[in-house]
Amino acid sequence: MANPLLEVKDLDVSYGDIHVLWDVSLSVEEGTIVALVGANGAGKTTLLKTVSGLMHARKGEITLSGEPIQHLRAQEIVDRGVIHVPEGRRLFASLTVMENLRLGAYLPRTRPLFAESLERVFSLFPVLKDRKEQKAGTLSGGEQQMLAIGRAVMAHPRLVMLDEPSLGLSPILVKTIFQLISTLNEQKTTILLVEQNVNQALKIAHQAYVLKNGKIVMCGRGCDLLVNEEVCKAYIGERARKPNG
Amino acid sequence: MAKSPSFIGSLKPAGPESLTNLVIIVLALVFFGTFLFYTDIDSIIVFYLFYCFIFIIIGQGWNIVAGYTGQISLGSHAFFGIGAYTTAIIWLRDITHTWYFFDPLVMFLSGLAAAVFAVIIGIPILSRLRGDYFSFATLAAAQVFTVLVLRGGKLTEGAMGLRIPGTLFEDLGIYYWTGLLLAILATAAVFFVTRSRLGLALRAISEDEMSAASHGISVLRYKLIAFAIGAFIIGVGGNLYAYYIFSISPPAVLNLNWLFYPILVCILGGNGTIGGPVIGGFVVGAIVVFSETLIGRVHPMVSGVLIILVMKFLPTGLIGLKAKVFQRH
Amino acid sequence: MDSFQAVLIAQTIVNGILLGTMYGMAAIGLSLIFGTMRIVFIAQGSVLVFFAYLCFWLFKLAGIDPYLSIIIIIPGAMVLGAVLYYGLFKEAAALQDRISSLLIAVGLMFILENFMTVVWTPNPRSVVTSYGFASFTVLGIHLTLNRLLGLGIAILATIGVFLFLKKTVIGTAVRATSEDVEASTLMGINPNRVNAVAFAIGMALAAISGINVASTYSFDPVYGFDVAIKALFALTLGGIGTIYGALAGGIIIGLVEMLGAYFVGGGWTQAILFAFFLVALTFRPQGFFGRTGQKA
Ligand SMILES: Nc1ncnc2c1ncn2[C@@H]1O[C@H](COP(=O)(O)OP(=O)(O)OP(=O)(O)O)[C@@H](O)[C@H]1O
Ligand SMILES: [Mg+2]
Repeated sequence: MANPLLEVKDLDVSYGDIHVLWDVSLSVEEGTIVALVGANGAGKTTLLKTVSGLMHARKGEITLSGEPIQHLRAQEIVDRGVIHVPEGRRLFASLTVMENLRLGAYLPRTRPLFAESLERVFSLFPVLKDRKEQKAGTLSGGEQQMLAIGRAVMAHPRLVMLDEPSLGLSPILVKTIFQLISTLNEQKTTILLVEQNVNQALKIAHQAYVLKNGKIVMCGRGCDLLVNEEVCKAYIGERARKPNG
Repeated sequence: MAKSPSFIGSLKPAGPESLTNLVIIVLALVFFGTFLFYTDIDSIIVFYLFYCFIFIIIGQGWNIVAGYTGQISLGSHAFFGIGAYTTAIIWLRDITHTWYFFDPLVMFLSGLAAAVFAVIIGIPILSRLRGDYFSFATLAAAQVFTVLVLRGGKLTEGAMGLRIPGTLFEDLGIYYWTGLLLAILATAAVFFVTRSRLGLALRAISEDEMSAASHGISVLRYKLIAFAIGAFIIGVGGNLYAYYIFSISPPAVLNLNWLFYPILVCILGGNGTIGGPVIGGFVVGAIVVFSETLIGRVHPMVSGVLIILVMKFLPTGLIGLKAKVFQRH
Repeated sequence: MDSFQAVLIAQTIVNGILLGTMYGMAAIGLSLIFGTMRIVFIAQGSVLVFFAYLCFWLFKLAGIDPYLSIIIIIPGAMVLGAVLYYGLFKEAAALQDRISSLLIAVGLMFILENFMTVVWTPNPRSVVTSYGFASFTVLGIHLTLNRLLGLGIAILATIGVFLFLKKTVIGTAVRATSEDVEASTLMGINPNRVNAVAFAIGMALAAISGINVASTYSFDPVYGFDVAIKALFALTLGGIGTIYGALAGGIIIGLVEMLGAYFVGGGWTQAILFAFFLVALTFRPQGFFGRTGQKA
């Protein structure tokens, strides 16, 4: 069988002396949506940061189509098509929508595809087209999240890692965003989705992992976990109590 | 957000807790306490040690602010100059009616004048500014002071400066003793400050000002106290130096060397440690005395090169080097 | 106030603006460097004076016209900027260690000042061309050619930097990095490259100002520190991150300096400026034109 697109093996990560991830392994098959869920502080963001090269692991291996990438610098990982949409969107607020998108296609590899990618972004998110010259900081929360995903699409990604895309959005927008993620996936983009919104995430995910205190405690098909009592009790119930945003 | 520790944050005050440290301190005290009895008093070594003591004093003064509150003051030369000028003015106007050098009262007043200046500029600066802005505001304040001295009329005699009579000079002995004593006192002061509630508060503030404030620590007051104590110590250093050069003028005591020396002393030895400025003082003393007697005016270039080399290759100072070496073995 | 005095004041204002554009350019350089890597490059002024000396040398030894020497000095300055960044500031920038970078810049300033003192002596120098002091009188205000040229070059350079930041991809990357280094890394932007570019442009601006200084004023090795401090004031007034703010700040400083000298007399202007800076800093720590409270 072919290598999975992304494979993480026995990963240990720490911030100085604070050990955060222990023996984490997961794999993301080409063309799928993989959800990674877990409580606050479980280490989800840390895992994404390690994959995207913002942090480096103490031990373990990360491979992209079988090729180790854990020693590469962040920009080299971006160049290989692994795009990390960080928690809280992190748009360049004083730059316009168009400039943000242009930076999404910063690397030479992606520049020839610029027009094509832009077309794709605007068809996914028509609202961005109307706001092209507006400063990103003045967009609404939902539009900002669309721009953040759009910026990733500009990079012509093989794998998009989304860190809590529904954070701070109203329920109706959450729904829209999840639909867009599905659409993106139908256009052959592989997605690693980190979410607190477990219910929705598991619904669209093909495969899901549960991270708890830095360890993978469960994995399975999204729909299986959705009906799993333990997961329901631990996360879905909790989310219902949690104020949205 | 991920943030690497700055070299100040990574160094905790290292005190002479262990027995070896105590032994080293006692040995050093015995050595320097008896040094003059078996050395030719006119030798360059005595001159060198006197310089080292001055560097240790001003280094500790800077250390208390930079090492324990994380604020880089670029105004040390003003405190140093205030100390020196206060000494000269008191002497020339015979305010304290002393006819000998090294009057403790004059010494205290010199430090006090610097501390008062620190409080005056510190209240606005420390209450509103931090980081680089704090640094540059201290520099601006020091430059204002320099202009005031240059324009000070009869009080400071402008660019000419003041002269105190050199006729009282006999030999370096008394300079050596006073310097040694003050260096010990300055180091002890930093030691006790860091062990006190004040030190604890300062550390809390430098780590997280917001949370310190929310725990009821009066941030401004503690920062101000540290700033004033630092200025006091540097001012006393200025007093000592004034007795040594006799001629107190802006080029002599307000030049930027006196801004850089304390910084160099601290970062070379190890900022935010008690022993760092002591080690740094001896090293910088050697460099300055050496290059001043051998190559003359080039030496500021040497300190520039040194600052860069230290920051690039030894950001934790010589004390940090020791830790590194021990880690490796 | 008679008309003679009015003309003198107008003259002083014009001179202040001209002087201020020089500070403003230095401030733009500082702003770019500070923006991308949070380093206050206090050696900026000394580098500026260093370029003034190079201009002086090219003029004295090779007979190259100061405005012509721009062609040689600017590329050299950009290379120097990149070398300085990779050689001295790379590690400190990666660790966001602002104390190290502040002290490295201070050390560099010290080296440059003393190097220039050794090579060119502490005596003031200037470049006197045959045409530089040709003058015009407009509405009774006396203008010399070199000052006008200086102003023109400064305006062109500012527009150039503005267009670079606005229109080019790497310029956009510079602005993005100023806002959020980590996020820009996630775009595949190499922070070192961006920082080196900011340094290179900063040095090019210092070079342009240096050439203007050389052909308009007299200068000595320690003049640079003065310029750096004033550029920093300009930056503080104008707010970090805005090109025009930095330029406007520079012009305010130039005006205060010239008008201060006119009304209060030379020696006090320093003190007035520094005091002005202190007050401005204390009441508007984020600058007058700058964005407010976005950055930690
Ligand atoms: N810069 C840091 N330094 C030290 N510890 C950190 C740092 N960042 C995160 N941590 C710790 O690492 C652990 C995992 O954090 P992480 O941000 O990966 O969690 P998360 O699963 O993304 O949580 P959330 O759902 O709240 O975003 C937490 O215990 C956190 O306190
Ligand atoms: Mg997270």
